[in-house]
Amino acid sequence: MSFQAELRTEPNAAVIVLSGELDANAAPEFRNKIETAASQDISKLVLDIKELSYMASAGLRTLVFARQKMGADVEIIVVGAQEAVRETIEMTGFHHSVDMVDDYQG
Amino acid sequence: MQALTVAGKLDSLAALREYVREATAEAGLEAKPTYHLVLAVDEVATNIITHGYEEADLSGDVIIQARIEETSLTISLEDSGVPFDPRERPDPSNLDDPLETRDIGGLGIYLTLHNVDRFDYVWKDGKNHNIFVMNRPNSA
Repeated sequence: MSFQAELRTEPNAAVIVLSGELDANAAPEFRNKIETAASQDISKLVLDIKELSYMASAGLRTLVFARQKMGADVEIIVVGAQEAVRETIEMTGFHHSVDMVDDYQG
Repeated sequence: MQALTVAGKLDSLAALREYVREATAEAGLEAKPTYHLVLAVDEVATNIITHGYEEADLSGDVIIQARIEETSLTISLEDSGVPFDPRERPDPSNLDDPLETRDIGGLGIYLTLHNVDRFDYVWKDGKNHNIFVMNRPNSA
């Protein structure tokens, strides 16, 4: 399934909904959405990845980019990671730097 | 399985993953080892395309071939880019460090080498050969 990233803004939060397969080819699109989100005045970046079926290390690198771009005050919340994607995030220690939750209510 | 040749471009990655999934289905691999093998092949192919071809101003193909044997599934990737043996890259030593301060190189190779049952590399006839092996179920 091809990759899609949709950005919406809520009060104080930017929500990016990802679906499909996030590989090195798709990562620049995700990165663009993060840049747009970072230009807004937000305290939370919510990444809804419930429908993301695959994530390569290019996706992890984009999470690093998000962490660095957002600044320390912005909380990054990763919502609904599928088991295999979660495993990749945990294997590489990224769960120490983002909040991993099953559900998010804005 | 018949080999598949794709251009050494990032938009070929999806076709390579699809090929691997067809091979794992034929070999009877379950969902988890399938995901691991797909990720490993995708990461190495990404390195080949990014570092072996694009950053070196080279262009060329990536050839993928699956071989199913009684006890194993072997996927090989062949390319004519810059020689690179993924096994020479040390594991990242900083997996517990916060993202703000991380050097994030080497993650793809780390995921590759820890997710397959065996990985080999040879440089032969001017080409890189990356070889991934997964055990087939009930073959131990």
